[in-house]
Amino acid sequence: MEVANLGMNDRPMRSGAGPAMLAEPMPDAANGGTDPIIRIAGVGKRFASDTQGSEPVLDAIDLTIRDNEFVVLLGRSGCGKTTLLNIVAGLEKATSGSVLVANRPVTGPGGGKGMVFQQNALFPWLTAARNVMFAAQSRGQSKAEAAALAAELLRLVGLDAVGDKYPSELSGGMQQRVAIARALALDPAILLMDEPFGALDELTRNEMQDELLRVWQVRRKTVLFVTHSIWEALMLADRIVVLAPRPGRIVLERSVDQPRPRSRTNPGLLALHEAIWQALQAR
Amino acid sequence: MDRLIGTRLARFLIPAVFLALMLALWEFAVAAGWLRRLLFPPPSRLIGSAIELASVGVPVGNTLLYNASVTLARILAGFIGALVLAIPLGLLIGSRPLLDRATQPIVGFCRSVATLSLLPLALVWFGIGETSKIFLIGYGCFWVMLSNVIAAVRLVDPVLLNAARTMDIPEHRLFMRVVLPATLPRIAAGARIALGVGFMVIVGAEMIGTVTGLGALIMEARTFYRTDITMIGMLAIGILGLVLTSALARLETRLMPWLPRGNAEAG
Amino acid sequence: MDHPLSRYAGLIGVAAFALIWELAARLIWRDPAVLPAPSDAIMQALTLMQPGELLGHIGISLGRILAGFALAAAAGVLLGIAAGWFSWFGMILRPLIELLRPIPPLAWIPLAIIWFGLGEPSKVFVIFLGAFFPVFTNAYRGITMIPPVIFRAARTMDIDGWRLLWKVAMPAAMPDIATGLRVGFSLAFGILVAAELIAADKGLGYLIMQSRQLGHLGIAVFGILLIGILSMLADWQLGAVIRRTVGRWAKV
Repeated sequence: MEVANLGMNDRPMRSGAGPAMLAEPMPDAANGGTDPIIRIAGVGKRFASDTQGSEPVLDAIDLTIRDNEFVVLLGRSGCGKTTLLNIVAGLEKATSGSVLVANRPVTGPGGGKGMVFQQNALFPWLTAARNVMFAAQSRGQSKAEAAALAAELLRLVGLDAVGDKYPSELSGGMQQRVAIARALALDPAILLMDEPFGALDELTRNEMQDELLRVWQVRRKTVLFVTHSIWEALMLADRIVVLAPRPGRIVLERSVDQPRPRSRTNPGLLALHEAIWQALQAR
Repeated sequence: MDRLIGTRLARFLIPAVFLALMLALWEFAVAAGWLRRLLFPPPSRLIGSAIELASVGVPVGNTLLYNASVTLARILAGFIGALVLAIPLGLLIGSRPLLDRATQPIVGFCRSVATLSLLPLALVWFGIGETSKIFLIGYGCFWVMLSNVIAAVRLVDPVLLNAARTMDIPEHRLFMRVVLPATLPRIAAGARIALGVGFMVIVGAEMIGTVTGLGALIMEARTFYRTDITMIGMLAIGILGLVLTSALARLETRLMPWLPRGNAEAG
Repeated sequence: MDHPLSRYAGLIGVAAFALIWELAARLIWRDPAVLPAPSDAIMQALTLMQPGELLGHIGISLGRILAGFALAAAAGVLLGIAAGWFSWFGMILRPLIELLRPIPPLAWIPLAIIWFGLGEPSKVFVIFLGAFFPVFTNAYRGITMIPPVIFRAARTMDIDGWRLLWKVAMPAAMPDIATGLRVGFSLAFGILVAAELIAADKGLGYLIMQSRQLGHLGIAVFGILLIGILSMLADWQLGAVIRRTVGRWAKV
């Protein structure tokens, strides 16, 4: 595994990353650890097909995420939030800037970066339990260990009864629970989630948010979560990062200090909702 | 009326009654002299010939079952040979985009070449024996299969590959454990199409230098003005096709238990 | 991904294929009566035949294909839509079709000869049979697989009866119908040679068979390639027409 020791001391960012290192935005959130685990510095992205004059998909994004922090990237379609997530995951390459995860530059996917996708990305030819085991075995666990872990994780996400069902036999919500269990089976340092509940109906979606928080509190992970739903961000996040499109850039960063579980009638959240709503109007 | 049509009994009964009526009408039309017996041997005659073909055989010894087994063996030899060659080659071409682009026009063209037009070449190369027939069937199956396997690899959902990459799967295992199972449904669909091609070619292949096989039976019968035998042979090859197709479909559900039931058609 | 060669990859592939064939024929087999080189095939065809003769074969073959396909398209679309639209008609027609469908078109050749003689009609009939079933099956499926919500939407606009069929169901089934036509068309080309085994004295299938008997294998190869090219061109053409029409709103 690439991520060796999470408690390892930070080395300062290599100055080679660019002279334009601004003062790090240090959020005042109290929860979560204090070690930076993801450092995004000056990340820009331009597609090869873009014409010279057009705005980049991402323009000089700086973002630092501490260990065990739950950060939500929020923005409308086309603001580059999924691209940024894919760059952190190593599935896409940035045109400029650098991303460090646990002090190592991201060179590709894998290396303890769990990911849950928007579409159903379970392997259709494997049962739910086998899907989870696939991830566990990929990091060298024996079959017996993987089976035990899969059973444990499926229980954790509330699916102990459906281990031998195929994904096509599960509802959308159940599929995403399995996907979360599968990502956790990698024992990842960070968990990347790309609108994982985007295809679900609202009630299921709310249940899944509660479920995710419960799981997150049992198995603390750093989470980078992409959504376009303001309320989803407000219910989940330690910190909300709002992006605007053309060029993709950060227009607002706010910590959410409210204790969980949160209520939608909480006046603090309502005020935040208003601020974020305003920020999202930015074009 | 609509409600009657909806019931399951009606669904079976109406077509059955209709078919029976058609057969009765056919029988009557021949008896009344509206249709010539030679051109349209009536169902009663067909039943008699079927029994003759199944028990004694025409010519004597070549029973229907024997002919069917000969035809089946030829189709399977060509079909399986094509599969064995096309699947690995298609997997290779499909996973190398440059190779895919380089071979695309050739694969497309060879698929367009009418298999039966190769008959004279097959005769020159392999003579009038079994090899020619198996070559023709194999050729037809191979190119259909190859283009389907290539497409199957190209069309693997990239999100599955990304998901696997987040798990540090090395490339060779990625292929065996993700790409291969993900391509299976389309490969199976290709195999079904290829089998259909095999059945189309077999009749033509059995026109060359043989008196065994259902295709030969169908053709030979004409020279003796035995339209009844031709019809029985056609029916037999149709049934053989159905049996083989459903066996393949059963194999598919065995191999791919994860596919939603009833969706095997869509692949 | 964008390798500098990738733009010309297809061209290079074809050239390599032709070169390998040419070299294999000239250096390894060295017997044009077994494996004519592509250059031999073209030379033989151009020197041993008058241009008009070749065009005559092509014209006759294309005529047979178009006649058989046109009949199959008309009958297949009409019957397929009718069977999908009127459930009682589908119920009696479909078992009949399902009974005949598994029979390979070539197996009909003896009946075609007995029923229609050795002339053109029997050849057209065999080609018709090859193209008919995919057209029918796809048209039927196209009509029966239309999402019910489309019909409900139409009903809210007071569209029913024949207008529902003509204005809503037929366009909705068009992508499937187009697919069926395309499959049927290429099958018509595949069956041509077999159809021309029936006592033909003209046509590309006849040319191929005849050339072998005369020992002009080069012309046979030329004919084989020609049918392949014609079939490919025809498929492209039909595909282009479909993309320009149905393809503007549906994935075909």
